Amino acid sequence: MGLDFVGRGVGETDGNIITTSIEKVVNWGRKNSLWPMPFGTACCAIEMMATLASKYDLSRFGSEAIRFSPRQSDLLIVSGRISIKMMPVLKRIYDQMPDPKWVISMGACASCGGVFDTYTLIQGVDQFLPVDVYIPGCPPRPEDLIDAVMQVQQKITSGASPKGVEAVV
Amino acid sequence: MNEEKEVEEQSKPLVLEKLEEHHADALLAQDEMRGTVVVVVRKEQAYAVLEYLKTDAELAYTFLVDVTAVDNSQMESELMQFDYARFMVVYQLYSYQGQCRLRVKVPVHESDLSIPSVTALWKGANWLERETYDMFGINFEGHPDLRRILMPDDFEGHPLRKDYPLRGRGERERFNFDKQNV
Ligand code: SF4
Repeated sequence: MGLDFVGRGVGETDGNIITTSIEKVVNWGRKNSLWPMPFGTACCAIEMMATLASKYDLSRFGSEAIRFSPRQSDLLIVSGRISIKMMPVLKRIYDQMPDPKWVISMGACASCGGVFDTYTLIQGVDQFLPVDVYIPGCPPRPEDLIDAVMQVQQKITSGASPKGVEAVV
Repeated sequence: MNEEKEVEEQSKPLVLEKLEEHHADALLAQDEMRGTVVVVVRKEQAYAVLEYLKTDAELAYTFLVDVTAVDNSQMESELMQFDYARFMVVYQLYSYQGQCRLRVKVPVHESDLSIPSVTALWKGANWLERETYDMFGINFEGHPDLRRILMPDDFEGHPLRKDYPLRGRGERERFNFDKQNV
């Protein structure tokens, strides 16, 4: 069957029966259908759009279904500068996403404020949101974003909880 | 010599000639910066001058490109020139008819930060004046809706003033998510 969660039972089966755990099946499903909520506020968002478009084609990783409703998504991609006026909006969007949810902080600005060390810019969204994967770069290339999505997938496969859940538990 | 002088006088921009004729007492200074005529106008007559510039059939500066301000508090040379007025409100105008630009500057003292709003002349001044109020604290009298436009409503201070610290006063770390209207 070629599925990566396949485990064989103790007894010999002839390949028609698969035994596994329910978590593994669920995680396999989650991993291959991450629906991103794009939060693009600046130049990084252009690279995010490129990642979604045909050349880089994020749908190869099951993430082509971009949701502009946080209630239908489980991966928040923060790509761009977040100002002090935008932060409550971002926080509310994160809060509206159903669990389990992952967060990618894309680019220098979202991760640490970048070159904008000014009165109005949040110096890293991880002060207010649990970030799972950071992407360095200004802007990061589409390959970097794909890599980050794959790292989230690895986390899911390994059974790790999102940062947000760890923080609660 | 005479010829040269004639040429010089001929090339005097129309707008300066007309302003000298009709609003000579309002003019504090005039200058030219990279092909753009700059006039400095007394605050009391600023509205009348701007109205004249817009409605005069020959000048017709019908397009208000931008309204902003400059905080000159650390520019001694500028301060000295205009009676230690801390702020300079700047209007950028464009005339489609004459295809030329004009910059009108109005000195504003810190003791009286009010200046007449030009929203009655140009509707587009609405947001531009709100931004100038938000960033510099200039009070545009007669503005229909003078609220902050860029900073959050509960923000204190005016961040483009020179005495506002670049990295802020801790507002980017201190966050009260409940208070904000989202
Ligand atoms: S990290 Fe660079 S590319 Fe990304 S939002 Fe900031 S300035 Fe733009």
